Amino acid sequence: MNKELEHRFVTELENNQNIVHKVCSLYTNDKDSHNDLFQEITIQLWKAYPKFRGDAKFSTWMYRVALNTAITLYRKSKKRVQTQDYDSVVHRIKANDYDETEEKQLKLMYDAVRQLGDIDKALVFLYLEDKDYSEIAETLGITEVNARVKMNRVKNKLRTILNP
Amino acid sequence: MVDELELLKKDWQKREADLPKLSYDQIYGMTWKKSSSIVKWIFYISLIELVFWAAINIIFSDSETMEELKALHIHKVIMVLNIINYGIILYFIYKFYINYRKISFTDSSRKLMKAILKVKRTVTQYVWFNLIIFTTYLIINMYGVLLYAPEGQKIVQAASEDGNSFSFWAMVITISVLFTAIVLLLIWLFYKLLYGILLKRLRENYNELKKLEV
Repeated sequence: MNKELEHRFVTELENNQNIVHKVCSLYTNDKDSHNDLFQEITIQLWKAYPKFRGDAKFSTWMYRVALNTAITLYRKSKKRVQTQDYDSVVHRIKANDYDETEEKQLKLMYDAVRQLGDIDKALVFLYLEDKDYSEIAETLGITEVNARVKMNRVKNKLRTILNP
Repeated sequence: MVDELELLKKDWQKREADLPKLSYDQIYGMTWKKSSSIVKWIFYISLIELVFWAAINIIFSDSETMEELKALHIHKVIMVLNIINYGIILYFIYKFYINYRKISFTDSSRKLMKAILKVKRTVTQYVWFNLIIFTTYLIINMYGVLLYAPEGQKIVQAASEDGNSFSFWAMVITISVLFTAIVLLLIWLFYKLLYGILLKRLRENYNELKKLEV
């Protein structure tokens, strides 16, 4: 594939890499698998890039490919499943940033999110990223109504985990 | 009380600064790496399968085997079977290719999962087709051996001299059915395991999304 296209792609990904890192931090539990997934998403993005026509925003398109890769294409090895590793990106809480109860609560929240299934995680992720229901529905391939119903269920699930 | 989810959302967005930062060169290097996605694995496995069964076919269709088949009076049937076999294998190669091409990563998650499961279905069909062909070969061969090979004729003759040719044939049929069933079961189990491991999580996710349709 030609050089100019590759340059454009790498530059755009470099500028938007946060999106991919955030997906990786939700779907993996340690640094190695984070990097693994990041690489796989990069490969899938690059493979699909020639088909990206620019009718959507690059970042919007990235959300979809990144989540699709995390949910459907990425093979998790056993050690990656359900280990509570506080060293991971989302857990790197600086102690002085928050008061203690809030910090505790957030830690519990992140743990609760990690316990969710792949699809539920994707919903929470898109919610945290402030996406509207039409985008959530389009990304997952369900209707907007279904996305709303599902989101409410996930929210309730999270609340139950937090307030047993 | 502040809603926990709102709190989480605020924190999540604040945390961007903590994310790792990769350089242009690091990302550039990644575009040249090989993918290790499920689709790729399924595709490789199906290619190995294709080659494996085609190889078995070629190994068993040299001229010596053909002479033997002629002696057993079944070479014509086997030839027809071979032609059908190769035709169907070509069809499957085409199907594999089309399925693989159809998997576009920009589709929605549900569509993507559906496409991958379709690839898997084609592989299963291919495997069943091979098992059926294999069994058919086996049966025709057995028939030829019993009726035309000297050893086979001796056995059949001995049985009919004993006056119990009916129970003899019943036994032959029972044993071959049992044998075939066991072989089929083993191969089926093998595939169940192979693809089951690869696709378990995917199928669960797909079902979860599909549940919403109702």
